Amino acid sequence: MMRQRRTWPIHLTLIAVSAVMLLPFYWVFKTSISGENIFSYPPNIIPRDPNPFYYVDVWYAIPFARYFLNSVIVSAITITANVVLNAMAGYALTQNFRGKGFVLLLFLSCMMIPFQATIIPAYLITGKLGLLDSYLGLSLPLFSTIICIFVYKAAFDAVPRSLIDAARVDGLSQWTIIWRVMLPLARSATATNVILSFIWSWNNFMWPLIVTRTPEMQTLPLGLARFLSYQEDSTGALYAFCIMVLAPGLLLFLMAQKEFVQGLSAGATKG
Amino acid sequence: MRALFLLRNRFVWVPLVLFIVIAGWNAWVATHDHGIISGRVVDADGKPVAGATVHLWVFNFTTFVEKDSTTTAADGSFRFTGNPSHNIQLSADKADAGRSDRIPVRLYFASEDFVLAKPLRLERG
Repeated sequence: MMRQRRTWPIHLTLIAVSAVMLLPFYWVFKTSISGENIFSYPPNIIPRDPNPFYYVDVWYAIPFARYFLNSVIVSAITITANVVLNAMAGYALTQNFRGKGFVLLLFLSCMMIPFQATIIPAYLITGKLGLLDSYLGLSLPLFSTIICIFVYKAAFDAVPRSLIDAARVDGLSQWTIIWRVMLPLARSATATNVILSFIWSWNNFMWPLIVTRTPEMQTLPLGLARFLSYQEDSTGALYAFCIMVLAPGLLLFLMAQKEFVQGLSAGATKG
Repeated sequence: MRALFLLRNRFVWVPLVLFIVIAGWNAWVATHDHGIISGRVVDADGKPVAGATVHLWVFNFTTFVEKDSTTTAADGSFRFTGNPSHNIQLSADKADAGRSDRIPVRLYFASEDFVLAKPLRLERG
């Protein structure tokens, strides 16, 4: 008879690690509803006199709804562009063509260049296109990301070649093969693309700071910086703002975490 | 049948629930944002004070500034209309009855209609 392995030590360890990782989030949330000084001693685990008024303060201290709308629009454009362009690029990289190795090498080497190094040419190009201070200009540099291209490539590589050949025999064009055959089979890769592009776009600070010229076009991270500049004494309001900025990303991740993890690990075991 | 299937999808029902909550909240705000602040003023013995002056203080960036004032009726009640803020303070005074503490009032949204639960109590000294 096989001895059953005890799992409770593993679960106990995992619970402890989870608690340690979740503690900062809890602390931010607790401070946002109680306004307690983070340096108070002894610290209170349970919030004293919890209330939602710091959130109300944030809502009226800056044009939060406008910044939120701007962030949503920019993120929606970024997500759409990422899914379309990365799927096309990922599909192209699954095909055999001359110079494929060089293109792959070029992509990988481009990943090593930080965005800060290309920010001036990116600004000049956006300016030449007349897209400064516009939603399209705000989302342009994140239209396609190499990591996400490789996520799609890994997912498409896992699709049997015979299926693509069968689609070709049936007369499907390359476009139709991508949208009707490959993408439905790579839903987890799409979820990964959506989440990653959303988070990168949502949290982007440097590019919106440079490309926006009017307060009406600013996004939430810029709003947070603006809020900090004149509300730095209110820890509760500051943390409430952080929660309001974080919440959409957390919600999206919690909704699609299964597909996200599948998408990241797809191709990991493939030779 | 298809609608039921869609509702079981978390990518459908989570945004749907959020939409309903936000729409409900906005409907509540739209019907309760007349900026009416009302309450009562009593003396140290708890009797209504007529003719007391009540002050409405509104948060203005870093400090509270007086926005409006009104006089209490015979039963000690007062009423402000058109409060624009979500963060206010109320105080009352009368020459022969003393003055009250300044009471902070936090509202859930700007111009929320609000009835002061505890009356403003005038104290001498």
